[in-house]
Amino acid sequence: MSAILQVTELRKSYAGVHALDGVSFAVEAGSVTGLIGPNGSGKSTAIDCISGFQKRDSGEVVLAGNDITGLPAHQIARAGLMRTFQTVRIYERLSLRDNLAIAAQQFDPATWIDEFLRTRRYRQAVDKAEVRARELVELIGLKRYWEIETGILSYGQKKLVALAAALMPHPKIVVLDEPVAGVNPTRIREIEVALAALNRAGETFLIVEHNVEFITNLCHRVIVLDQGKKLAEGTAAEIHTDPRVLEAYLGMTPEMAEAEMRGAA
Amino acid sequence: MKLAIALIAALAFAALPLLTSSNYIIGVGISALIFTVAAAALNLIYGFTGLLSFAQLGFWGIGGYVTALTVVTFGGNFWWGVLWAALVNAVVALAIGYPTLRTNRHAFVIMTLTFALLVTLIARDWVDLTRGPLGIPNLPKPSAFGYHFATTAQYYWVAWAFSVAMLGFLYALCSSRIGRTLVAIKQNEPLVRAQGIAPMPYKLSAFAISAAVTGAAGGVFTFHLGIIDPLFLDFYYMQTFLIIVIIGGAGSFWGVVAAGIALSALPEMLRFSADFRMIIYGVILVVAMFVMPTGVAGWLRERQIARMREQLR
Repeated sequence: MSAILQVTELRKSYAGVHALDGVSFAVEAGSVTGLIGPNGSGKSTAIDCISGFQKRDSGEVVLAGNDITGLPAHQIARAGLMRTFQTVRIYERLSLRDNLAIAAQQFDPATWIDEFLRTRRYRQAVDKAEVRARELVELIGLKRYWEIETGILSYGQKKLVALAAALMPHPKIVVLDEPVAGVNPTRIREIEVALAALNRAGETFLIVEHNVEFITNLCHRVIVLDQGKKLAEGTAAEIHTDPRVLEAYLGMTPEMAEAEMRGAA
Repeated sequence: MKLAIALIAALAFAALPLLTSSNYIIGVGISALIFTVAAAALNLIYGFTGLLSFAQLGFWGIGGYVTALTVVTFGGNFWWGVLWAALVNAVVALAIGYPTLRTNRHAFVIMTLTFALLVTLIARDWVDLTRGPLGIPNLPKPSAFGYHFATTAQYYWVAWAFSVAMLGFLYALCSSRIGRTLVAIKQNEPLVRAQGIAPMPYKLSAFAISAAVTGAAGGVFTFHLGIIDPLFLDFYYMQTFLIIVIIGGAGSFWGVVAAGIALSALPEMLRFSADFRMIIYGVILVVAMFVMPTGVAGWLRERQIARMREQLR
């Protein structure tokens, strides 16, 4: 396996406060990588800087061999990095179908001239996107909402729509910002299963999340941030027993954590 | 279905001069057609893209003056005048849109309003070019292929053909992927960027197209009036376009077109009571906004969504 996303020495400060203080990590192709840390540890800043939604001060981001450092967000997306947002972002007044169609639109070769003339290239692009959209809708279990405005869906369902939209153009990596925050437990389980299935099908994920159980079940590797620095990195099991992580992130001793895990199981 | 209705409506409108010989009614018809086009252009930038532009009034005025000056001062004909009106406005829109669209939506509103006021000042004070408050009277009616559109009824065909062409163009645009992308930008701009789409070229094009169409509409309307003076930049026009868009339902193409025709005719139909007609007009507007805050199209849409919810239960 090789690194699809390589982040090197990423730095960002707001008015003298170091939100990111030289963070480096890599995401392997085909893996699920978790990015965790207490509130204010720099997780969200990190993915905003990686995806171009914030300007980094210094550092380098390489996606599949291409330097994407400092590019505007839409170019980073075109390079193959799709992301979701912590507060769910979908087009609430468009149908599920249109939500997914727009997500793929920039990635097909059809121009407005093709559309105006209804060329073969346009029809093929639309058909291809439709097939992909139906597949994803099937997977997230929202088939019956196909033609319906997404605004009427529940919060958890909206998160699934955002996930499906991010997957539409077959991205190289999908960055999920708190995919299950505020979602009810049954639905969390569903999202977990869907993500695992997608990963088996070859999708690569970088997930920022607070829900430890979710991260533990899903991630091959976990990176822990604290105060803008990388505190630890390893498998979920390694992270769970790392005393520094327990201290900083969970605020408890290894014994307490042990008890917690037994309780959860 | 919608297109079939639109086609029948367009043909019915074409028949208006055959049904009446009253220049007054035909004049109202011309206003209705032209105002609907200007409102549809405002709908493109405001209803679809979510950018409230008061610059439309400025574009309308520039369009009127450019068309008049092309004919009177520069010796061109009416058709070239309308084309120039569209081109000049597109360029002006690109020039003011490029910096202002980088600001937030509120700043955009203020800056477009300032632009409209600036155009009014130029129309009044650049006397050498615009003849100031005197205006440019006696604008000659156009001719094409040896046919002179001399009377109001004849000029009606010009306005009709222009409106059908412009509305057809705007409909094609709004119902395309470009139109859908504009709606997406209005609803969630960060998401659009995250999906690889740069919003700026879309917003700028929508603004320029909206300006060009509004300007051309202003040109056609000026030659209906036969005179242009700074009153052509009266806020009444902006207000009319905006009311049409809001009552019709911002973001709904057909809602705005229907409202354009209906609301242009409404004040005239209320003439049975000369004293109270504008008051009644105002009351109708206020009641409409209370009952249907998202316009007629929005109201219909909400009912449709309510039905969908019901079915899903």
